[in-house]
Amino acid sequence: MFESIQEVRERLAEQDYVSDARLATVVFLATRLGKPVLVEGPAGVGKTELAKSLAGAAGRDLIRLQCYEGLDEAKALYEWEYSKQLLYTQVLREKIGEVLKPAKDLSEAAEILRGQEDTFFSENFLVERPILQALRSEESSVLLIDEIDRADEEFEAFLLEFLSDFQVSIPEIGTVKAKAPPVVILTSNRTRELSEALKRRCLHLQLGYPSGDVELEIVRLKAPGIGKALSEELVRTIQGIRELDLRKAPSIGETLDWAQSLVVLNAKDLSKDLIESTISVIAKHDRDAEKMLDHLGVNAADTKHLGQTQPTGENPSEAMYEMHRSAHKHAH
Amino acid sequence: MDTVVNDFVQVLRDHRLRVSPAESIDALNALRNTGIGERETVKDTLRATLVKSGEDAATFDRLFDLFFSMRPVAEKPGARVRGHDQDHDHGPPPARLELGEEAGGQKPEDTEHTHDKDESTEMRRFFEEERMRPSNDVHGDAERMRLSMFSQELILNRKPGAMESALQRLTYHMRLRRSRNMFNPGGLVPNPGGEEIPLDVSAVDLEDLIGHLHELEVDEAIVEQLEAQAENILKGLPDLIKQMQERDKLLKKDAGDDSEVRRRALRKMLRFSASEGREMEAAVRRIARRIQGARTRRLKEDRIGRISVPHTLRHNVRYEGVPFDPVLRKRREGKPRVALLCDISLSTRNLARFWLHMIYQMQSLFSKVRTFVFVADVAEVTQVLEEHDMNRAVDEIFSGRIIDADVNSDFGKAAGQFRDGFLPTINHRTTVVILGDGRNNGKWANPQALEEISQHARQVVWITPEPRWGWSLGSCDMPLYEPICDRVEVVRTVEQLGGVAEGLVKARA
Repeated sequence: MFESIQEVRERLAEQDYVSDARLATVVFLATRLGKPVLVEGPAGVGKTELAKSLAGAAGRDLIRLQCYEGLDEAKALYEWEYSKQLLYTQVLREKIGEVLKPAKDLSEAAEILRGQEDTFFSENFLVERPILQALRSEESSVLLIDEIDRADEEFEAFLLEFLSDFQVSIPEIGTVKAKAPPVVILTSNRTRELSEALKRRCLHLQLGYPSGDVELEIVRLKAPGIGKALSEELVRTIQGIRELDLRKAPSIGETLDWAQSLVVLNAKDLSKDLIESTISVIAKHDRDAEKMLDHLGVNAADTKHLGQTQPTGENPSEAMYEMHRSAHKHAH
Repeated sequence: MDTVVNDFVQVLRDHRLRVSPAESIDALNALRNTGIGERETVKDTLRATLVKSGEDAATFDRLFDLFFSMRPVAEKPGARVRGHDQDHDHGPPPARLELGEEAGGQKPEDTEHTHDKDESTEMRRFFEEERMRPSNDVHGDAERMRLSMFSQELILNRKPGAMESALQRLTYHMRLRRSRNMFNPGGLVPNPGGEEIPLDVSAVDLEDLIGHLHELEVDEAIVEQLEAQAENILKGLPDLIKQMQERDKLLKKDAGDDSEVRRRALRKMLRFSASEGREMEAAVRRIARRIQGARTRRLKEDRIGRISVPHTLRHNVRYEGVPFDPVLRKRREGKPRVALLCDISLSTRNLARFWLHMIYQMQSLFSKVRTFVFVADVAEVTQVLEEHDMNRAVDEIFSGRIIDADVNSDFGKAAGQFRDGFLPTINHRTTVVILGDGRNNGKWANPQALEEISQHARQVVWITPEPRWGWSLGSCDMPLYEPICDRVEVVRTVEQLGGVAEGLVKARA
């Protein structure tokens, strides 16, 4: 897929994904060794984005599996299409009668039916879920298993066979082996510790907040409308804020949201007013917002009225909502 | 190369990183792909393959810098003492010195490089000077790279044992039993102009070695070559020895420091070795599984709930698909809610560490655990335990920044504070677990506050380290508290803890 580590970086850069040597090395190794990559790091540092960009860079399909509590193999691997099976039995009823006609007694009929079982448990009635899809695709794909830490431990154990051998066992059909082994990227926010067995099978990549230069590059790539001076000021401010003791430090995602809202607002520089009115884009907790404003020397008297009810900081759509709202507030 | 990686893995393990053999094999495979031309790349590669958790990354960085800080003294035709480990198990390699060298002349083997399957030009460039020979040996590339010409010719001469014994003598003279592997790692940071240090060591030793070699009837040419190189070797040795000793010292000191801190921290019976930690983790994990097994967040079949179409269809196939018998599924309340109150006063300090370890484990496994510590004041430490790794969190808690840990414990006051400040955090589904010895130092016991807490909670479990007969001694208020609690358990070890926790689960079911 890639010839060198340098090529990985270049190709990812073409996808507007700024990478460092470490990330490129791991990605390169993953494609070479055919091992899954476990990407860990705080929310919004580009873990999911990595998989998307990698798929783009390699020209592969991206298959995504979002994990959540209670996710089971029916959602992740395959499911029988019951309604279709049922429909077929109804429609084929006569045919089944015909097939069974020569049978003299019940046991013989059952024998004949058993011979036909394959018809109803064939791949025709199989609904492919992401993992099976990745295994059966003709061309190697990129499989993103997002937020694996949210899934149950049982699911983690279920993944082990898939991750080490790129195969899964389906009781009715047998073992399905990958035609072209996918590149697997697992992401985790570390809401819980993953099992040793899973970690052992993966290459490990820890993503953190980027350095100032890298972040600046990302801002320029992803929020092209922003001026040079403003982007520098913005990144400097964000980097300063990350030093604070916050419940949820702003990540790259928030930086970009902020940059984009500033673009929408047609801002020329980061005035105190502007910071105060847009702080909600990067602060996901009331207390954090106050701290940030204090840090930036903005009078925090009004921060209580930001109207953040119960932000969790987990939900990306919340950021969008906040952004749009603040954008609206100032557009009118 | 595999020796180096193995040794490095060994060092990592000494520093309590868990690295499996499979991972070190991965590391080797990975290095074969990336080449070892660039230090940073090697570092990234090893980190990705060997280190699987964020907390360990810092340790890894430090050890990597330390381990691979050696510089080669002479890059070009010079002395190379190199580690050589012929049995390729991944256990600790034997402490054996082997002297290899790049002979200056005659290289008929150059063409053999074409057989080298390794595509990395960097790697080839790096090893070029070593004049590798393809060996017939099954271990493949790595082996090939490691064997320098000299040692190999000796093997070809069927004198491996002889070489070894000569070298062992040399080793003995120089008291350098642990000097394996120092050159290969150094090779990762090619630095041709190594400093020259006046030679004051080992001239005798080297002559000795040469003498031995003569005695051993090794190929004359080789001995001559060795003699020709002797000067270089001598130049290199003192420096290398010094560097190596320093590095060894550093590596050792680190490990020593670590264990020292640990020992001081977890005194007497509750010394937490890595294996005990693992045991604890496993025990709590088992408990967690039992609890989760009893109540999960998954949809379960139930008498009430939503109709599940696939299950209904499948279930009703027997009625020709007419859904006579709908299957209902319901999401049930998941993991248990637990509030932990942990006494960290002086009298229970030994146990407090044990408890905090336990709490840490519980908190990482259960979703709804809130943890409080108290001596005389109560403070919530849920956040602290969430944000830091175990040892950091424990240190943080005992640092005195959160609450003053050095005053006399006062259960009455703590219970009162908890009632006033944190009562809303518990409800009829919460199990309150109190870890403490109930020694109140003569202060007011305030059983009323505990009573109130117990009324709000599903159950109150008191875990004390003191056996029942001790309660009547000194100022122990356990007899007062006991009737209020649903259960009082005496726990001093991990096994006992397991018993209690399983009892807890049964009580809930």
